Amino acid sequence: MSDQPSFEPQIVAFCCRHCAYTAADLAGGLRFQYPTSIKVVELPCTGRLDVLHVLRAFEDGADGVIAAG
Amino acid sequence: MIVAETKPLDEIKALLSDAEKVLVVGCGTCVTVCFAGGSREVAIMGSLLRMAGRMDGHERQVEEVTVQRQCEWEYLDAIAEQVGAVDVVLSLGCGIGVQALAEHFPNAWVVPGLNTKFMGLPLEQGVWAERCAGCGDCLLGLTGGVCPIARCSKQLLNGPCGGSIDGHCEINPEVSCAWQLIYDRLTEKGKLEVLMEIQPPRDWRTARHGGPRTIVREDLRLPEDHQAGQSMKQEA
Amino acid sequence: MNISANGYLSGSNLERVLRAGHFAATGELGPPQSADGSTIREKAQLLKGACDAANITDNQTAIVRMSSVSAGAIALQEGLEPVIQVTCRDRNRLAIQSDILGAYAQGIRNILALSGDHQTFGNHPMAKNVHDIDSIQLVQMIAEMRDKKIFQCGDPFKGQEPCMFVGAAAAPFAHPIDFRPYRLGKKVNAGANFIQTQLIYDIEAFKKYMEKVRALGLHEKTYILAGVGPLKSPAMARYMRESVPGMLIPDEIMNRMTAAGAPWSGKGELTKEDKKARSGAWRETGIKICVELIQQLREIEGVSGVHIMAIEWEEAVRPIAEGAGLLPRPVVEPAAA
Repeated sequence: MSDQPSFEPQIVAFCCRHCAYTAADLAGGLRFQYPTSIKVVELPCTGRLDVLHVLRAFEDGADGVIAAG
Repeated sequence: MIVAETKPLDEIKALLSDAEKVLVVGCGTCVTVCFAGGSREVAIMGSLLRMAGRMDGHERQVEEVTVQRQCEWEYLDAIAEQVGAVDVVLSLGCGIGVQALAEHFPNAWVVPGLNTKFMGLPLEQGVWAERCAGCGDCLLGLTGGVCPIARCSKQLLNGPCGGSIDGHCEINPEVSCAWQLIYDRLTEKGKLEVLMEIQPPRDWRTARHGGPRTIVREDLRLPEDHQAGQSMKQEA
Repeated sequence: MNISANGYLSGSNLERVLRAGHFAATGELGPPQSADGSTIREKAQLLKGACDAANITDNQTAIVRMSSVSAGAIALQEGLEPVIQVTCRDRNRLAIQSDILGAYAQGIRNILALSGDHQTFGNHPMAKNVHDIDSIQLVQMIAEMRDKKIFQCGDPFKGQEPCMFVGAAAAPFAHPIDFRPYRLGKKVNAGANFIQTQLIYDIEAFKKYMEKVRALGLHEKTYILAGVGPLKSPAMARYMRESVPGMLIPDEIMNRMTAAGAPWSGKGELTKEDKKARSGAWRETGIKICVELIQQLREIEGVSGVHIMAIEWEEAVRPIAEGAGLLPRPVVEPAAA
């Protein structure tokens, strides 16, 4: 897949409500662009992130997962 | 509790062979507490198997269910329909759970997803240790509550061998010398004289060596006409 | 057991020597990891006449070797009296008893009862161990086969009972150290006629142990043979001191071993000849130390003999016994029937 020039990885970003998610919100307010292939999931805290969430993201087609907090 | 560990994924995949429909069955008792076969581990296993199937080019339908206790018929009745709908049942219960499923659902093919390790307890988060060997003739009253059958590498009954060093067993510095523990405990309680008695050879018939064991409690059994009404097995 | 009674328990040479009040010497013979009986015959010739009897080890360090009963029978043919070691690791009470019957029928008269090294140390760490009975129960079983003429289950013998001189091991410095004299007491109460100890290098520590043993009166109920063995090199001494449980080696002995190799230190790359000469110097010192240890042990009240363990170095036993003034070995005729 990755050797195809059109490949655009689907990324699921698990973001902490108090920092990374707020930052993404702020970026939106400032009209910064980020690719639509990044799906942001808000968590109350990245401590809530479970191996199961990561597995489910991959299972549902994600190419990568980022935990931001 | 019974302490178990997940089998390697490759071994589980081999056990599932070419099954297209799989039911992963967890248990809400011991294996939940030791993080090996509760609903969370069932969900993780389900997810892993679905992805593994996709990666191996052998897509599987993997269902998940966790029963309160896999070792009792009553709790298994509730999943009869799900069991009947799959090619293979992958039990994340202990060895008893696997056998209860196989016994209760004779038409189903049940395979183990865990290795059942021992009867023990959590020493700290993430660490479990063996405490009981189920020998059937408890001698903890003699040994200050430390079991030499389960915890001495040689199951000695008359004190420490020459391999006891600084409180640990010579086979592994991580393993405590059971007899050092017994000695310390009896010293502390002023009961060292117990250790001076020669313990005779054990009658191992009470343990597994007398063949598989069964307990019959007549005071608890139902009258015969009731028993006849209770089916021990149910077809899946 | 009453060792002051007339008549022998087994009539073995070892028993006769001890009963006659001589300072006994036992050796050790490790059977081969093969089906070759000739190595036993060769080793037996090295030990014969240098000791009163030789222990034949039972899969020592859990490495498969020729069985101690079979090797013992070969030793006997060579005129070397065997002390058959029997561990509880590999056999249950049925197998051990049948081996004892066979051993007696072959003419074997001494047994040393042991727990056995754990199989994880050997070449079959994946094996299942047995430990149906422990070493103290084993001593009791062998003694009762002889004295009560019964099998362990209580059934009486229908014919000749095996009359063995029963020994047990003692590890004076293993932990918990305060319990060790009492554990020895349990072995004696179980019926141990003689005791062979773990290797002793620390005479002062052993004297303290023997004080407690004497306070319990154990030296009057059993024959205690102190374990000795020649060191081969400073590396071996270091390994034993650091890695073998209950092994005390004083600095003085460590230093003497190191000093023996001093002429070759700082010489840079050693030639094959140099290494051989250094090894010879180490071994000579090892034997000298061993001789001195025997002389000191002999002075300790309650020590009835020495057990000389020259692991894979059976040639060393004779010079050690010679140096310690233990040769020739006494001859005690069997009591007239």
